[in-house]
Amino acid sequence: MNWRSIFAIVRRDLTLVARAKAVMVPLVIVPVVLFVGLPLLVSFALDAAGSDLDDLLPLIDALPESVRISLGDGPLLQRAQLYLLEHQFATFFLIVPLMVCAVIAADSFAGEKERKTLEALLYTPTTDRELYLAKLFGPWLASIAVSFASYGVYLVVCNLALAGSVGRVVAVTPLWATVVLWLSPGVAALGLSVLVVVSARVRGFQEAYQVGGVLVLPVVALVAAQFAGFLFVDSALAVFLGLLTWAIALGVMAVGFGIFRRERLLEQV
Amino acid sequence: MADAALLVRNVTRRFGEVTALDQVDFQVEYGQVVGLLGHNGAGKTTTIRLLNGLLAPDEGEVRTMGLDPVADGAEVRRHTGVLTETPSLDDRMSGLEAMRFWAAMWGVPRDSVEERVGWLLERFQLTDRARDRVGGYSRGMRQRLALARTLLHDPPLLFLDEPTAALDPVAARAVREMVRTLAAEDQRTVLICTHNLVEAQELCDRVVILRNGRVLADGTTAEVVDAASVPLALVLEVGGQQVDTARRIASTFGDVRRVAGGRFDMDGVTRERLPELVAALVDGGVDIYRVAPEAPSLEAAYLALYGEEVEG
Repeated sequence: MNWRSIFAIVRRDLTLVARAKAVMVPLVIVPVVLFVGLPLLVSFALDAAGSDLDDLLPLIDALPESVRISLGDGPLLQRAQLYLLEHQFATFFLIVPLMVCAVIAADSFAGEKERKTLEALLYTPTTDRELYLAKLFGPWLASIAVSFASYGVYLVVCNLALAGSVGRVVAVTPLWATVVLWLSPGVAALGLSVLVVVSARVRGFQEAYQVGGVLVLPVVALVAAQFAGFLFVDSALAVFLGLLTWAIALGVMAVGFGIFRRERLLEQV
Repeated sequence: MADAALLVRNVTRRFGEVTALDQVDFQVEYGQVVGLLGHNGAGKTTTIRLLNGLLAPDEGEVRTMGLDPVADGAEVRRHTGVLTETPSLDDRMSGLEAMRFWAAMWGVPRDSVEERVGWLLERFQLTDRARDRVGGYSRGMRQRLALARTLLHDPPLLFLDEPTAALDPVAARAVREMVRTLAAEDQRTVLICTHNLVEAQELCDRVVILRNGRVLADGTTAEVVDAASVPLALVLEVGGQQVDTARRIASTFGDVRRVAGGRFDMDGVTRERLPELVAALVDGGVDIYRVAPEAPSLEAAYLALYGEEVEG
């Protein structure tokens, strides 16, 4: 395996992404909206809800006991805020790696075809497997970096929003650790393994990006199911979901390794 | 070292229902500059892709420097430099960044990357703009950068797909000069795909003409021109008193374009009939002072070959 070529492609792809407004705008705006704007909005909305907040009581009461204990015995407003920011947002967080993957992977292959830069890459001595690996690595590293940065910003925002009222650090929990360090990289790997194959088969960035958007739907379904009370994602379930995600991702990657061929890419160059 | 730098033996390649190459057969010796000519869709780019292991033939045999590009594609590509039809450069990178990237891709030793890149940028007159983004380069600059890229690993074998397409005449001439120099130094083998037949005649030792995926002609420019039996253009000078007689006789052999004094400019006289024309003029009592046939161009031969095929 020629790692120098692989890292050269990764470095170049990430440099190109950093210089493309069309790619960078969603990479910045989506995390800012989701993990700065939304938590602040939720906190202040709950604060302003007054007696309407009582409607949330049945939801809080229906939570598993361990979760209810972690929310403390403070006023309902505080428990509701903690519940949303420490539990609901944890599943919501999975949108970030998927979105980052969708944008960068779309730019990586489909965008390269669109810009007519892929052919020169195919004429280099890199093997098909090295190309495939490089195209997986770049977006994956970027998604991890953006996820970590988003989590960092989220921590600051949450703790500033609830400063003084909770009396402990918010959103530093086993669930968040599992989501950020285990499930989120797995989700990124799964999204990527699918997207690289998809990107290799479509003609342009927009088309690949739209297909990538579909991948967010399972996460949206997960968030909705948790909101509706159909399931509750705790750290144990997050570990299991991570295992499942990584297993599927590695399976899809193995298939991708087997079927990824220059020849297929050339058909649309 | 294998006998031929490039060997394409009875190769057929299909894309679904379309046969891009049909029993194509030619070879290129080491050190030769060969032109691969043909209309769009004739199979030129497909041939380059096959020779570099980007595609596999459906039938036949392909060898590049004795290697099988299907089995040893990466090894083949270590020895080849390919100038693609479009320069294939990222607008968001600077020329310098692009060259460093491609140097890593071709395994240029780390400690010589800067020296090699700097030398090539200098050689292709890009040093002053090396730190500018490629998006701001002119077409000529892009083409020069793409050409510099093909030389990063000093390949003995170059494939140039339309090296001067879309360039203005000055930039095209500069690129042709570079190609000529590249071919001459280190006895590089060069395969040029081009629509520009003047360029092919100027640069190539041999040409292979493809039409609809089949080889229409293969040989030196002179051989291809001979094979095409292209009608000659010629200048004829006769005695001033015999102009009318000469004109009457000459017009049965070709088109008399212009008569000025005793000078005729003629078109459409076949090479085979030229001695007959001279004999007829002599028999007609015409004093001949000069018969000057113009060497037919490769372009004329190409058009004649394609024309025959179309009519046939």
